Amino acid sequence: MKRDWGAREDVALEAVAAKEELAVTEAPSARDLTPAQWVKENLFSTPFNSVLSVVAGLLAGWLLYAVLRWAFGTADWTVVKTNFRLYMIGRFPIEEAWRIWMGLYYVVLLVGLTWGQAGRRLTWDAMHIVRRSVLAILGVLLLLYLVDSPLVWSLMGGLVAAYLAGVGVGRIGRGRTMRRIVWAGWLLAFPFVIVVLQIADGVGPLRWNGFLLNVLAGVVGIVLSFPIGIVLALGRRSSLPAVRTVCVALIEVVRGAPLFAWLLFGVFLLPFLLPPGVQLPQIIRVMIMFTVFSSAYVAEIVRGGLQGVHFGQYEAARAVGLSTTRMMALVILPQALRNTIPAMISHFISLFKDTSLLAVIGFIDMLRAARIASASVKFIGSSRQTLLFAALIFWIVAFSMSRWSQRLERRLGVGER
Amino acid sequence: MTEQAIPARPPLWRNVRVLRVFGQIVFVLAVVYVLRELFLNMQFGFRRQGITLDFDFLQQRAGFDLSEGIAYGPNSSFWRAIRVGVINTIRVAVSGIVLASILGLLIGVGRLSTNWLVRNVARVYVEIFRNTPVLIQIIFWYVAVILPLRLVGEDGEERLFFLSNRGLAVPWLRGRPGAGSWVPWLLAGLVAAVAVWWWRTRVNERTGRPHHRAPLALLALAAVAAAGYLAAGGPFDIELPAIDRGAYAGGVKVSGEFAGVLFGLVFYTAAFIAEIIRGSILAVDKGQKEAAMAMGLTRFQQLRLVVLPQALRIAIPPINSQYLNLTKNSSLAAAIAFPDLVQVSQTVINQAGRPFQIIIIVMGTYLILSMIISVLMNVANRAVALRGTRR
Repeated sequence: MKRDWGAREDVALEAVAAKEELAVTEAPSARDLTPAQWVKENLFSTPFNSVLSVVAGLLAGWLLYAVLRWAFGTADWTVVKTNFRLYMIGRFPIEEAWRIWMGLYYVVLLVGLTWGQAGRRLTWDAMHIVRRSVLAILGVLLLLYLVDSPLVWSLMGGLVAAYLAGVGVGRIGRGRTMRRIVWAGWLLAFPFVIVVLQIADGVGPLRWNGFLLNVLAGVVGIVLSFPIGIVLALGRRSSLPAVRTVCVALIEVVRGAPLFAWLLFGVFLLPFLLPPGVQLPQIIRVMIMFTVFSSAYVAEIVRGGLQGVHFGQYEAARAVGLSTTRMMALVILPQALRNTIPAMISHFISLFKDTSLLAVIGFIDMLRAARIASASVKFIGSSRQTLLFAALIFWIVAFSMSRWSQRLERRLGVGER
Repeated sequence: MTEQAIPARPPLWRNVRVLRVFGQIVFVLAVVYVLRELFLNMQFGFRRQGITLDFDFLQQRAGFDLSEGIAYGPNSSFWRAIRVGVINTIRVAVSGIVLASILGLLIGVGRLSTNWLVRNVARVYVEIFRNTPVLIQIIFWYVAVILPLRLVGEDGEERLFFLSNRGLAVPWLRGRPGAGSWVPWLLAGLVAAVAVWWWRTRVNERTGRPHHRAPLALLALAAVAAAGYLAAGGPFDIELPAIDRGAYAGGVKVSGEFAGVLFGLVFYTAAFIAEIIRGSILAVDKGQKEAAMAMGLTRFQQLRLVVLPQALRIAIPPINSQYLNLTKNSSLAAAIAFPDLVQVSQTVINQAGRPFQIIIIVMGTYLILSMIISVLMNVANRAVALRGTRR
């Protein structure tokens, strides 16, 4: 409850009381300031603040100037342009690239459908429009620089069209059936992509490279570790001592060692643990390790969520005669999982960032692609550009995911009752 | 409904207590069976390749060299190599934790500054460093920042610090002969500080005047120590690093690899610590600050006596997990060939071919390190936790 007593001295007491009942949580409306007032208030309010502003301003200005001068003057970005495909799909054969496009179209169409059938209005205030158009222009400029091929351009145009078509169809056919279709579509999305990549003399996992590999490894880790993590969390809170002990031991051992050590485990030791004669490709073993590692963290997050559910909920569920399974599935888990959304998404962001570790154990992911790009004789000494570009792509994905999580949090009212 | 209709005991297959015991036995048996199968598979596989599962190989000659760490040569044993790795990991982790805490605290407080510029610089910092993989950051620092820096300068040139592909060199204290005579002065200073503290507390209790005991006690300590410093004829020199025939001389020097890992870990973790600091200061109920204001405390007193103690209570558990993350992330040092535990282990696996034993050692070491950090942080937590809620 934010109240500014000083500014509202003249407000009648009843009005304050009424406000309190309505539980207004937004900040008091901002006063209109002239630019000069704003500068005085926000930058030079006290002597200390003035000194701070000058020092920080000089430092930030110099840094910004140096970075911009380097990025748009000194630095030669041809290495990134030349190797853009290497970044995205690595050594994936180009004549098979239609498989990736097909997967992309599927996902984009589905995103459109989901968005359309959710039927939420876009917010059209000036701030949003400006921010979105700036982002869109920056994105298009970046792509304009990176992509020459008219084929790729038309395919990307097609993606936008597919998205819009998805939104339209989703909005028109809104309802129960559409919701079911969307759900089924998401459930099938991952199998669909994997099948399309491999079907009819397709491309095996060894040549899923570049950003494609980061995305696939990340998605596998996220999708598989979610149910396993929930089971582990429930096991950890089980009333059976044997189950509890095993789950605690598993979770703590997995969390105790770094992901890198677990990946080495997957590379060096896992082949020996499998029954003789069974051989898994390295990439599958590594994805198993990603899943195992992530499951332990998901389990701890879910456990936190479970602890946040009031015990009255358990008692109420029991009182209406639900069995343990139904109580968990219908009453406890929905509440527990809702509370874990922020933590869960930030874990998934860090798992996605961690897929860059693939580079260190010999896979051609995006980071490795960056290293390969700057290793060629033609572009010697360009590792700043190549690494920064890989970082930029990771950053875009991670940053937009965290923004999305914040919005979701606000919409679902996490932390509010 | 008659009472006889309810049997005194349910039959065995419906007795919950029996079912629970039975279910757990089955569960344990299944787990044991799976583990046994895995172990037998492994034993079979290794035996076929002629690899034993004992730890004797650790005494053999390693035959490879390591670029830095405690005394070690190619003739040392595998065991020695692993110890070098462990100590290097601890070096990186400890210095990383200290530096990341300082930077994170500064940026976290900056995020809440009333100064628009400071607030937004801090925010941009957090968003950039938090959302890019720490591995890319480490490689970037090493490959793109440190390696291209050549050591330029004349022989004998001194500077505040050097950063080049030769590593990082910073000033350090160097004791002169007879530096020990300063120690009694230092002790006397401490006694003086305690006395001043006690005296000011008494004055405050008796007269109610502000005690200012912390700054005054520090002043006493500093005065006595400075007097002793002069009396002992300047027992310490601040030694600036200098160039000597294309290498560093003087000061404290760390390798370029160490500096790369350290920068990467510190800048990355500091962004997370800053967010924790900010979140926990914001999480302190606003009424607490208002109450402190109403009691007439100054802004600094509000922060020190009311807000920070409560914020610390919220911040310690997540900061603990950031420390653990930093320690575990130090394994990424292997990507730029810094001989930490994981990098050395990888080499040992390639040379000696005993992945099982090595991975056991690695996992065990990290478990122990994590436990030490957690225990230390629990001690800190207990010091600030709410009375009555200690767990």
